[in-house]
Amino acid sequence: MTAVDLPVGPQRVERLERIWTPRPGVLGWLTTTDHKRIGLLYLFATLMFFAAGGVEALTMRTQLAQANEKLVGPGTFDELLTMHGITMIFLFIIPITTGAFGNYLVPLMIGARDMAFPRMNALSFWLFLASGCFLYAGFALGAAPNAGWFDYVPLALKQYDPGSNIDFYALGLILNGASSTAAAINFIATIFKLRAPGMSLNRMPLFCYAVLAVAFALLLALPALTLDCIFLELQRRLGFHFFDVAGGGDPLLWQYLFWIFGHPEVYIIVLPAFGIATSIIPTFARRRMVAFPLVAMAELLVAFIGFGVFAHHMFATGLATITLVFFAAASMLVVIPSTIQVYAWLLTVATGAPRFRAPLLFIGGFVVFFVLGGLTGIMFTAIPFDQALTDTYFVVAHFHFIIFGAAVFPILGGLYYWFPKVTGRLYHERLAIVSFWVTFVGTTLTFFPMHIVGLLGMTRRVYTYEPGLGWDAYNLAETIGGFTLAAGLLLILGNLVWSRFNGEPCGPDPFHGGTLEWTVPSPPPHYNFAVIPTVRSPYPNWDRTDAGYDLERGGLVLDAGHETPSTEVRDARLEEILSMPSESPWPIVLAACVVLAFVMLLAGHVLITAVFGVLGALTLGAWHLHEPEET
Amino acid sequence: MTAAGLPATASSRPAGWWGMALFITTEATLFGAIFSTYVYLWLRSPRWPPQGIAPTKPFYPLLLTALLVATSVPVHGAFRSARAGAAGRAVALLLLAVAVQCSYLAGQFVLFAHDLDRMPPDRSAYASTYFTMLGTHHAHVVAGIALELWFALRLTRGVNRYRLVGLHATTLYWDFVIVAGLILVALQLAPR
Repeated sequence: MTAVDLPVGPQRVERLERIWTPRPGVLGWLTTTDHKRIGLLYLFATLMFFAAGGVEALTMRTQLAQANEKLVGPGTFDELLTMHGITMIFLFIIPITTGAFGNYLVPLMIGARDMAFPRMNALSFWLFLASGCFLYAGFALGAAPNAGWFDYVPLALKQYDPGSNIDFYALGLILNGASSTAAAINFIATIFKLRAPGMSLNRMPLFCYAVLAVAFALLLALPALTLDCIFLELQRRLGFHFFDVAGGGDPLLWQYLFWIFGHPEVYIIVLPAFGIATSIIPTFARRRMVAFPLVAMAELLVAFIGFGVFAHHMFATGLATITLVFFAAASMLVVIPSTIQVYAWLLTVATGAPRFRAPLLFIGGFVVFFVLGGLTGIMFTAIPFDQALTDTYFVVAHFHFIIFGAAVFPILGGLYYWFPKVTGRLYHERLAIVSFWVTFVGTTLTFFPMHIVGLLGMTRRVYTYEPGLGWDAYNLAETIGGFTLAAGLLLILGNLVWSRFNGEPCGPDPFHGGTLEWTVPSPPPHYNFAVIPTVRSPYPNWDRTDAGYDLERGGLVLDAGHETPSTEVRDARLEEILSMPSESPWPIVLAACVVLAFVMLLAGHVLITAVFGVLGALTLGAWHLHEPEET
Repeated sequence: MTAAGLPATASSRPAGWWGMALFITTEATLFGAIFSTYVYLWLRSPRWPPQGIAPTKPFYPLLLTALLVATSVPVHGAFRSARAGAAGRAVALLLLAVAVQCSYLAGQFVLFAHDLDRMPPDRSAYASTYFTMLGTHHAHVVAGIALELWFALRLTRGVNRYRLVGLHATTLYWDFVIVAGLILVALQLAPR
């Protein structure tokens, strides 16, 4: 049995090693419940999808490089633009920020040894991977979703889109939503219950606040999308009436439900970026975050207000003026928490002693694009402006500044920042700085001219255009920018792959970061913390000596099994020691049953769907037969 | 004190309880969206239910809902018994609850089939939302029954903390199903 106030004897560490070491080989990865391994699986899978989405984007940009280009036809172009949108949102940004960064970092940042529900965590990943493969199977079969990522009816109804393209969309997104829901529940329960003793809410890292806000937004937003997709399938397959006026339905119903999900979704995409920024900035500015509690509140507030603005995507649909004005006002409100954060970031850098290394440069790029994209966003709250420019490239420019500039830049910076933690090696700094500038120039060159062609009247989603409209030079510049951007991304990838094998060993804390993940070796051991830390500050790694904080003494070793402490929600007082489940084959089996059920549903075999459903239920039983040992 | 001999405060809600509470949050949002759809289409229709469809008769739906609400008692009783260590009593109460819930479902299926005859869902948006609403709720009742059967089975081998937390979460889930059922029956019977 363990006891308090004992130095960490080497034999204890050895025992922890023995308890937590996973099965060797591929089987170990397939049955893993280790949040770090699941985070890495998410990372590799999402990067693959990112590459696919990038190739789709470059194909479209090549097609649009000059007037009357004939690289792809209109049908293929529709599939490309739809898959590009779905891929980047559902298969790249959300899963890489929550799944990869969140999974890897949240337990390390809060001083836990795993997520609250490790097996459900594995299930989230396998369901996510299955949903991605499911959507791309549509591509392989020549029936990829093709009605745009927001899939408006009536275009998406059976009469106008008779193939199974839209069925891939609806079923694939239901599957994806199930994965995200499971992940969101897991993050909230983990953040609420598994924080290290002493990490009261006011000492929790701001990254965790961002993940918490995202998780709540996912929980409350996803059901609307899931229900919308269920309605769509019922209408397409069984002839129900939800979206057609003739049967008493309403096409706007699709848009309402979609955007009730879709706008919170925008904040779901960008909030983790805020979280990454608030992790990187203090480290490289060498000071605490300015206005820490305000930033934490602002992160939660952005997610909250995000639910009250959805109809600003529908300003051109003929809603009542009073509705438009309400939603325009609500949309302007988002400026307040956003600006609080921008000022906090800038002031932290300005009042600190900044080191402009690659991760901080990417955050700099993020702030530039976030402010520019935010400013064009405010322009859209002027309703007549929105109505004039809706469905033009100006909109495309606006949301790519936000989604690529503001959401992906911090992801890229975060890849560099935590790379030494994950691999134990440093990335190549000079090449990293070059890659930042190439990416920055590429992004600007790709998306800035889109504002201008938008103002010149070029509409979204056109697969080609006539010469002589004044669009040619801008489009060519955008295409050149797109390839520059791709080169920048390849430089980043090359840097990371090269450094993985040849980088300098970096030790536990190369950047002198403030949060708990920098207190453990790089890469972290399977059990994360040899001694569960006791936290007395929001930056425990900096305040070790000040607050008498010492990792070697005064903590918990917990080497009697897969154990981690559970604490009380607000003040993180120690409540009990949890015995955590370890590796399990059932999550991947259950995910397989679920996806096969969906495939059979798509193919119209209801009976076989039911068989896989029953198999899934039996799998759940087998899963829960294994109970953690009583302590 | 925990098993490891460490000082600990009195246990508040465990992670398993939070997991279920959060799951219910998202499920409640789903039901909220379905109910809102029903009301939205209702407000946009000149007649709801449309011409030619008679409003649902209240007697049987209300009777069945009363039955549904009543099952709250044995479910909560089962949890209290299990917490007190009386596994056998908990199993018996769970089985009683399941029996009543199954008769509830049987009654609902009869009504469902009858309604399907009366107003096929591919004829009107009213029937489409009506059946989607009911079908979703019935699916949740089935899930609740499955959970209770599972814990009845597990508790035959005695009570431990894992099962107790699971059963606690199940009572929470069942309360949610009942509340959703009450709103459902109100919406089902409201248009006259």
